[in-house]
Order: sequence, then structure tokens, then C-alpha cells
Amino acid sequence: MDRVSYRIVVEGEMGPRYASAFDGMDIRAADGETEITGPIADQSQLHGLIGRIADLGLTLRSVTPLNTDT
Amino acid sequence: MAGDGSASRARSERSRRSVLQLSEAKMMLPRPSPGTLRRQRLLEALDRDHAAALTLVDAPVGYGKTMLLRSWCAEHSRPVAWVTLDGSDADPVRLWTYVTSAVDRLADGLGRSALKRLAAPGAPVERAVDELLNRLHQHGQPLVIVLDDLHLVGSRASFGSIEHAVERLPDNVRVLAATRSDPPIRLARLRARGALGEIRVRELAFTVDEARELLVHREGIELGDEDLELLVERTEGWPAGLYLAALWLRDHGDPREGVRAFAGSHRQVADYLAGEVLESLAPATKDFLMRTSVLGRLTPELCDAVLDRQDSAAVLAELKRSNVFIVALDGRGEWYRYHHLFGEMLRLELAETRVADAAELHRRAAVWYRGQGLVEDAIEHAATAGDDAMVADVLAEHTVALFQSGRVQLFLTWLKRLPQELLIEHPSLPAFAVLAAGQLGRPAVELQQLLSVAERARRERPASWAPLFEAVVLVTRVAFLESDVGAAVEYARRAVSAAQADPAQTFTVAALASLANALFFAGDLVQARSVALEAVERPEAAARPGGYVAALGLLAAIDAEEGRTATAMTWARQAIGYAQETGQADLWPMAMAHLGLAAAMARTGDLAEAEREAERGERLRRTPQLTAAHAHALLVRAEVRAARSLLTRAASDLDRATAMISELPDPGRLPTLAARVQSMLVLAPDRGPQPAPIEEPSPGELAVLAYLATDLSQREIGARLYLSVNTVKSHTRELYRKLGVHSRSEAIKRAETLGLLGSLESPG
Repeated sequence: MDRVSYRIVVEGEMGPRYASAFDGMDIRAADGETEITGPIADQSQLHGLIGRIADLGLTLRSVTPLNTDT
Repeated sequence: MAGDGSASRARSERSRRSVLQLSEAKMMLPRPSPGTLRRQRLLEALDRDHAAALTLVDAPVGYGKTMLLRSWCAEHSRPVAWVTLDGSDADPVRLWTYVTSAVDRLADGLGRSALKRLAAPGAPVERAVDELLNRLHQHGQPLVIVLDDLHLVGSRASFGSIEHAVERLPDNVRVLAATRSDPPIRLARLRARGALGEIRVRELAFTVDEARELLVHREGIELGDEDLELLVERTEGWPAGLYLAALWLRDHGDPREGVRAFAGSHRQVADYLAGEVLESLAPATKDFLMRTSVLGRLTPELCDAVLDRQDSAAVLAELKRSNVFIVALDGRGEWYRYHHLFGEMLRLELAETRVADAAELHRRAAVWYRGQGLVEDAIEHAATAGDDAMVADVLAEHTVALFQSGRVQLFLTWLKRLPQELLIEHPSLPAFAVLAAGQLGRPAVELQQLLSVAERARRERPASWAPLFEAVVLVTRVAFLESDVGAAVEYARRAVSAAQADPAQTFTVAALASLANALFFAGDLVQARSVALEAVERPEAAARPGGYVAALGLLAAIDAEEGRTATAMTWARQAIGYAQETGQADLWPMAMAHLGLAAAMARTGDLAEAEREAERGERLRRTPQLTAAHAHALLVRAEVRAARSLLTRAASDLDRATAMISELPDPGRLPTLAARVQSMLVLAPDRGPQPAPIEEPSPGELAVLAYLATDLSQREIGARLYLSVNTVKSHTRELYRKLGVHSRSEAIKRAETLGLLGSLESPG
């Protein structure tokens, strides 16, 4: 399976402290939420990432696969 | 340093111990910390659920789950077995070893028999759980089992064993579990029975009154109702947020202004508040917190070792006095941990500021744990540090202890993460991995793969390839892989000479039993008997359970076959009694004792009991690959069934055995035994309608077949067997095809006629 990019949105704007938690992902905070975007190799990586979000006490809003048609 | 000599003596003593040391900190009941709010309404909710077998405290990190459970436990006189779970509890044997040990300490001996079963490598954990539940029932006194951090367990096998326990829990016991997500056990069923209590986010969130109690009454922070409402709204009542706010605001010049600034920002709650709290700490304190955050559980000694300082005890005590984010695990100031969320924030800070290399801190922690003889913690930290070489060293050093504590699955899991080159450098590892895979009933391909690594180690490192490793590999091969009876005798002979060359004689009894077994299948009963006698008469025989019961069982089988029924029964009963005492009852080496007893009972006319024994023996002999031993078990059962005039079933067993025998390159004396059963069937008065021979269902299909006779749905069958519903469907399709039927009820009827159902373990 090709790597698919995902956009994950969590509640609240996260500061730079979180960069190491989502290494390799692009983090953008605005309007009271944070978008974590980047390539995900497989379901295990996606589940791992969602696990990290839970560990950090973040509230998950949405998980969206991008560029699925390419 | 003074006392160094005694420390290293203690260390070497510990590493010689044959049983794995338990991590005490995992079983400690955390201390209620003085900074924690007592939450009356939640304590009452836990009391209200007193009839529930399982109560879940189920919410994300920072909702005060552990704090609630520990304050409930502190207020009740009921004895509590507390276990803090972690990722390694994916091995159900490890999980239940801790739970059972914690229970055992409440009333001496309560867990002893279950612990024995758990220590037998490859034993089915559910039998040990049943044993524990029986003892708890007999005990009759109220008792609470707390499973903290249940979400970390992460394996179907472990969750399955917990479900098994909860569904059978005696009335005097209740389980309280803290978890961040719903465990994959059938909660709806428990809920419907009123056996499930639940405390979730809705209940755990702070009310404005509780926030006032914490911030205003306890911490003395000057906030009005409006400020409190703002704070609760902004944090959504998240307890971790409010505790962080308390830490921050108690030293704030203008707390009301602080709350307003926080409420006006869009920053994530923990990010904002932890940032403020960390900012306000003295640099030395912050540095200590960051560096020790990677440790998980901490003790002053460990912190001293990792940070290369001597005053950690004082620092930790001061943190505990002033900070609610540290949890004291015992009353002696020896073990602590950070609150999960705070620990995460500290680790992020460590990564961002780069004041220290986390991998190096883990490596030092691994060294310390290794010195303490805490093998599992040492391996965890070494693996996190990416130090494969240390993982391999520690595994090799403690292989025997891991096996004798039943931790074979964990051993194999860790080992398979190591690069092959490291396994070659530690030849004991691939050798014992072969044994572990055999004991766990892993498929032949996996065994072959591990065998080839072992072969490589033997070839490339002849100097470090000890005779013991050779014996271990050969015995495993004979037991689980060899289908050629003649070759098995050869391998077993080599195993015996290798085992005898091992100075500790660790495997001699097992190797002799293996040779006796091979000789038995090859048809040399005289020599088989003398080798088996040699095994049971060795001075250390009773300290080598697997080989000992196998040899006793073989003596029973030979004596039964040669007409000495009384002695046969004595041998078999000795094996069975000993196995029950030592927790070996459900393991494959016990098969021959049951088969020998079956044959002896058949001769004395106790046919019903003989069939049950034959069924037990056959069940223990099932392996993913074809073996002479399984064919033999089927023949013994066929013979008993023929004697009982269960001719259709006997014929079906015989057909299955004959099909297996035809695939064995050298079947030894099995064809003779098959012919004997055949002649019994021919001579029998009423043979009944002869079923057409069928294609042999696979072990997976047979497992599904057993459940088809129940009223479980395919999805439920899948859940029981840890299979996807699609796999269950495809097994069912194959079964229908092989049995030549088109429905579930037809399949059951046909399977009964063929004797396939009677041979299966009742799925209960």
C-alpha cells in the first residue's frame, strides 16, 4: 500500500512542545484547533498516532485521509 | 563505595535464582496523596456497584481514575490485590502471575496452586485462572482485585483471559479496572446481567463545587464563582487541568487575571497549564523532573544511578510534599511515579530542550534494573534505548528463570525483535527459542525458521554451542517436528549424549524420556522400558517435571500393553498426581500417562473412564504438524472405543490415524497397532453403516466445528477463538465441503457420526 496522507484535527492550539510527539508530521495551530498533517505508512502507524494523542490528553476531533485518489 | 562487596554478592545471588523476580512496584497500592480531593459522589457510586463483578472506571488520561480507586480502597477494610498493568502484560501468563501473586499475599497460599500452573511453560492460562477462582470461592471472604491501566494490556489473549475470569467470578470477589478505552470484552452481556458497573467521563469531570473545594478551600486561591465557572468551562471539568491550574495559580500574583487570560486563549488546555507550571519551577527541579520522566516507575536509588547524583531521595520527598503530580507507590518513600499526563509533558519538554539524551537515560536505567535482578524492567528499558546487545545479554543470562516462571511467550516475543546476528552471538537464544515455539504449539514453519537460526549458531560458533543447547534443540525436534520414527531414535540418542555432557545435567531426564518415547514408537519396547526407568530413577528426576512425567507415562503405556495393568496404573497415577502438584497437568508431556492409563483401564473393563483418559491424551497430542505421537493417540482411542463397541467412532479414529501413518516416512510400529485395531473392528459383531472416509479437517476447522454444536453466532465463535468472522466463515465452508453437508445442523450430525465431535474439547 502506498503511503496516504492524513489530516488529524485535535481540540485546542498546541505549542511547539508537541513537535517531538508527532515527529515527521506538519503541525499547524489556528482558530482553537490544531491540524496534524503528514504521510502515514499503514494502519498500525495511524493507530499508534491516535494512541499518542490519547496519551497527551488531547481531544480528537477528526481523522481524514487526503489524496486517496492518487 | 562501602557495601559494594555485599551488593555485588547479592546481585550474583539474584542472577542465579531460577525463578524470575517480581517487580514489587507493580503490585503496590498507591498512597492517597494529601493533595487529592476526596470525591464523595464517586465513592458512593463505587459502593452502589457492589454487586457488579466488574466495575470500569473508563476515561481518558487525567480524569483521576487511579486517584479515585486508591481513595476508595483506602476507605474500605476489604483486602485489595492491586496490579498496575503495562505493555508486557500482553503475555497473559505474566499478567496472571502478578494478579495471582498479589492475591496470594492477602491470604497466604491462596494463589499457590494457580502460580504453579502458571509457571509451567506453555500451559493454558485459563486453567490457572479457574484454579485461582476456585480458591477464591473456597476462601469465601470479600476481596477486591484492582487492575490499573487495563488499556495497556493490548492483546486478545490477555483480554480473553480477563473476560474468562470476570464471567466466572465468585460473589465474594469484585474487579475494579481503570482504563482509557473500553476493553474488547463482551461488556453488553455483563451489562445485561447487571454484572458491570461503569464510571465514565460524565461522572469523573469536576463540578464547579468540586473545583471550589480544590482551588479555594484547599489551596486558598482567591477566586470568585464566576472565575470558577470560567475555569470549569474552559477545562470541561478535566481534573488534570484543574490540578495543573491549582499548582499554577497558588503562586500567581493575581489568580483572577490568570484565569481570564487562560479562558481567553485558544491554546490546548494541558499545553497552556503545564507550560505555566513548568515555567514556575526552579531550574534544578525542572531538570530533575525532565530527566527522570523517562523512567516510568522511580525510586531514589534508580534516579541516583541514572542521573549520577546522591540526593534523589530528598528531591523526591520535596516533590511529593509540594506537588500533586507525583504518586507515591508505597509508604516508605521508595517507589514513585509521575502522573501519566505530567510525565508525558515532561518527556516532551525533555525532547524539545534536549538537556539529555533519552536513549542514554533508558540505557542507564536498564543497567540499574539488571543489577537489581529485575529482568523484565531491564529488558524493557534496554529495548527502548535501542540497545539490542543488552537485550540479548539479559535474555541469555536469565533464559532458565524465564522458562521456569512460565514466561516463554514473552521470551519469544522479545527474542524475535532481535537481529539474527545477535542471536548467533548468543547461541543459547535460538536453541531455547526452538523449545519455546514447540511448547507454545507454534506452526512448523516457525519452528523450522528458528531451527535454521540455531543450526547456523551451531555451525558458526562451535566453541560456544554448549551440549545443553544441542540437547534442547534435538529433544524439541523429536517432540514437535520429526515424522520419521527411525530418525527420531537417532536424534534422541544424540540428545541423550549431549545432555549427559552438560555438567548441570539440566536436560538429561527430558532427553532420556524423549529417547524412550522414540524407541517405543520404533517398536523396541524392552529398550524403551529400560531407558524410561533410567530417567525416573535419576536423582534429579523429580526436579525435571516435563521429562519426569513423560517417562512415567511411557512406563505406564508399556506395562499396559504388556499386560501388567496394576503397575501400569500405578505409574500413570504417579505421573498424574505429580503433574497436578507441579502445574504440569495440561501440558503435552502428560499425554502418554493418560493414554497408558486408558489402555490399562480398557483391560480391566473400566471402559467409560478409559475413553475419557484416551480423549485427554489425544487432546494433549494435537500439534499443528503431523506427528507419529498424534497418530498413536488416535489408535489408542480407537482401540478403547472398539472395546466399548463404539464402532463408528473407532473406525473414524482408525481412518484418521491410518491417513496420518501413510504420510509418515517411517511409521515404526504404528501400522502394527493399526492392524490390531482393524482386526478388532472386523471381528466386532455389529459394525454398523460404514461412513465414507472423509478429508481430514484442519486443526483450525476442528476448533470451529466444536463451537458449531453450540448456539453461538459466527461472530461469537470468532471472538472465542480469536479469529476474524471471515476466517470462521471460510473454516465453516471448508467443513461443510469436507463433511459433504449444507447446514450447521447437518454438519453436527455428520461430525457426531464420524466421532469428530466427541474427540473435541468441550468449548464450555
